[in-house]
Amino acid sequence: MSRADRRHLRNGLLFASPYIVGFLVFVLYPIVASLYYSLCQFNVINPPVWVGLENFQTLFTEDPLFWKALYNTLFFTAFSVPLSLVFSLSLAILLNQKVRGMAGYRTVFFLPSIVPIVASAVLWLWVLNPESGLINGMLRQFLGVDGPGWIADEHWAKPSLVLMSLWSVGGAMVIFLAGLADVPQVLYEVADIDGAGRWIKFRHVTLPMLTPTILFNLIMGLINAFQYFTQVYVMTGGKGGPVDSTMFYALYLYRNSFYYLRMGYASAMAWLLFVVILAATLLLLVTSKRWVHYHGE
Amino acid sequence: MEFTPFLRTYVKWLVGAALVAAVYAVLWPREAATPAEQEALAEGRTLIVYWDRHSGHEHEARRALIDEFNRSQDEVYVRAVPVGYNALMEKLLTSISGGAPPDICALDGTIMAQLVGQGCFTPLEDFMARCPYLEQEDFFEYVWPMVAFDGHVWGIPTTTDTYCLLWNKNAFRKAGLDPERPPRTLEELEEYAARLTIRTETGFEQIGFLPWQPWDLTHMWGLLFGGTWYDDSTGQMVCADDPALLRMLRWQRSFAIDPKSTSNAPYAMDPEKIMSFQKGFGDYMSANNQFYAGKLAMITEGEWQVTFIPKYAPELDWGVAPIPAPAGAKPRAYSSTCVVDCVPQGCRHPEAAWAFLEWFNSPRPGGTSPASDYNYAIHNIPPRPEEAAQERFAADPEFKVFVEILMERETVSSPVMPAAQFMADVIERQRERMVFRKTTPEQALRDIQRTVNDQLARVRKLLERSAP
Repeated sequence: MSRADRRHLRNGLLFASPYIVGFLVFVLYPIVASLYYSLCQFNVINPPVWVGLENFQTLFTEDPLFWKALYNTLFFTAFSVPLSLVFSLSLAILLNQKVRGMAGYRTVFFLPSIVPIVASAVLWLWVLNPESGLINGMLRQFLGVDGPGWIADEHWAKPSLVLMSLWSVGGAMVIFLAGLADVPQVLYEVADIDGAGRWIKFRHVTLPMLTPTILFNLIMGLINAFQYFTQVYVMTGGKGGPVDSTMFYALYLYRNSFYYLRMGYASAMAWLLFVVILAATLLLLVTSKRWVHYHGE
Repeated sequence: MEFTPFLRTYVKWLVGAALVAAVYAVLWPREAATPAEQEALAEGRTLIVYWDRHSGHEHEARRALIDEFNRSQDEVYVRAVPVGYNALMEKLLTSISGGAPPDICALDGTIMAQLVGQGCFTPLEDFMARCPYLEQEDFFEYVWPMVAFDGHVWGIPTTTDTYCLLWNKNAFRKAGLDPERPPRTLEELEEYAARLTIRTETGFEQIGFLPWQPWDLTHMWGLLFGGTWYDDSTGQMVCADDPALLRMLRWQRSFAIDPKSTSNAPYAMDPEKIMSFQKGFGDYMSANNQFYAGKLAMITEGEWQVTFIPKYAPELDWGVAPIPAPAGAKPRAYSSTCVVDCVPQGCRHPEAAWAFLEWFNSPRPGGTSPASDYNYAIHNIPPRPEEAAQERFAADPEFKVFVEILMERETVSSPVMPAAQFMADVIERQRERMVFRKTTPEQALRDIQRTVNDQLARVRKLLERSAP
C-alpha cells in the first residue's frame, strides 16, 4: 500500500467513522450482549445471572403463549407476504402502462407507504371499526350484509391485519417498477415476432426477468413480517387481544422485556426469531437458484 | 490575499477545529434548561429534577405547586418533567442504570413495589424521622404497607384512589328507572343492566353494565366478593379453588352468552358483539369516552371522574354510589394503588429532594399542605384521612361518596409484590379467555396461581442470586 493509498484509507475511515462508531456501539454491541443475556436472568438493574439454557427450556416447555405468538406470526407471514407480492406486482404492472398522468397515479399508490405507521394504524382502527367503520358501513349499505367484527373478532383479527398490510405495498411496488423498466425491450420485440400474446409475454418474458426483484421483495417482506409490531401494538393497546389472537412474536418479546423486566428471556426470544428468519432466508436463497434468472444467465 | 500552501492548510484545520468546537458547545449537556434555572444556579441553588407520572391538567396542578416551592425559598430549584404514565418504568430503569436518574419520581405504588427489590430507590425513613408532619399513623391503614416493607420506607404516598359505581341518570330515565336510585345489591345491578341494555339488529346501542369496562377490574371484584388472591405471609398466590373467586368469575362470565346453554341470564350478551361494540368506544380522556357518550349506562370508576366529567362531558347528568356488595360478602372498599414520590438510587441531590418532599407534605402556616391542595386540584383522595376529611373535599356531593367509603369500610388493595404488573396481565388474560369460553373459571384460577407463582419464584431467585 502506497503512502497515498494509506492516506485515502485513513480519510475514508475517518469520514465513515460516525457510522462505524454508531454501528459498533448501538448495533454490534447490543447484538453480542443480547446473546449473552439470552443465557442469563437479567432485569436491567442487577447484574445478569448465568442460567445456561434455562430461558430456552422455559420457552419451549412451559410457555404456551410463546407458541401462540409464534403461530400468530407464522400465520401472518404466510398470508401477508405472498399477497403483498402479488398485489404490489399487479399494481406495478398497471402503473407501468403508457397512460397520460401516470406519474400522478404512481404517487397516489405510493402515498400510503409514507404515512407514519402509527397514524395509519389509528386510521385503520376506524376503517375496520365493526360498528361505525367504513368497510362495514359499505357492506351494510351496498350489499345489505353485516360485516364481521374485524379487529374485534378473534377469528378475523389476523386476516384484518393481513388486509391492512396490503395498504402499504408502495415500497415493493416502486422496486417492481424499477425491475420492469429493466426488462430489455428487445425480448418483447423478439416475442412479438414470434407472435406471442400479452399473457405469454408476461409469463415467459416479464416474470422470469423480474425474478431477482421478486426474490428481493420476498426476503424483505419476510423479514418485516416476522418482526410485525407497531400496528398491532397500537391497534390492541399492546395487549394482543382479543383472546391472544394478535399476540405477535415481537409484541410478546416486548412485553417480556419492558413490562415484566425479563430481559434474558426476551433476548432468548430475539435470538430464536433471528434463527427462524435466518433459516427462512437461507432456504429462499438456496431454492432461488432454481427459479431466479439473472441477466446474462 | 495570497495564502501560502502551509497557511492554507493551517487555516483549514483551524476552521475545522472551530466548527467541531462550536458543535460540541451547542450539544454539550447543560445543567440549566431555562433562563429561570440558569438564574437559580447563579444564585447557588441546587437544581433537582422531578418526574411526574401525571400529565395534562393533572401535571399543571403539580407544576403550580412546584412553582410555589421555587418561589418560597432560595436553596433548591425543582424542574418538573411530565413524563406521564406510559413506559414510565422503562424510562426510570434506563435512567437509573445509565447513572442519570431524576431526583424524585412520582409513580404508582405497584410499580415501585416491583422495582424495590432491585435496589432502585433510596430508603426514606431517616429523612422522615426529621419531619414532624410525616408519621406512619397519619396515613390510611391500607396505604402504609404499600410504601413501607422489607424494613424500609421507599416512598411518600401523595394520592390514593377508590372505585364507585357511576350511573347515567338520563339512561335511567329512558329505561323507566328512578334516576336517583342506583342499584344497591348485585341482583339489582344485574336487573338494571338488563333493562339498560338496548340491543339493535347488529349489536347494541347501549350496554347497561359490563364488569370489565372501562378497566379489567377482576382483581377488585375478587376482593369485593370476599376472595383472596395473594397471601402476604407466604408471598404466594393462593387463588386456585378459592370459592369466592370462583363465584366472582362465574358472575363475570354470566355477562357473556353461553351458546350451549338454554338458561342464559337476561343481561347476558354475545361476547363477540360486546368486543365489536367496545371497538367503537372513543378515547378515555375525551368526550367520546364510553360512559360520557352514553354507550355504557353504569360503570365502576375512580374519584378522578369528579374532575374529568365536568371537563369532557359537562352536560352529563350522573350520579355516584358505592359498588353493590355481593350477597354474603362484607362491604369493602377497593383501592388499586397510590401514587408515590420516590427518590431513585444514585440521584445527585437526595437531601434537596427531601427538602421538597418535606415542604410538599407539611401544612403551610395556618393552612393546608401542598399535597392536600394537589389532591383537591385533581380530585384524587389524599392518603391521610385527616386531610381527606377536610371540608372542601366533603363539599362536593359526588366526591364525598368516594371519601366516605374509604373512611368507613375496610379497604382492600393490590398486593405488594415484585410481579404486580405480571399478575394483573395474567388475570386479565384468563378472564378474557373465560368470557370466550376458552377456559373454565376453575382452570383460569389454577392457571393464574401457577403462572404468577412461577414468575414470583423466578424474580425472587434472581434477586437472591444477584444480592451483594
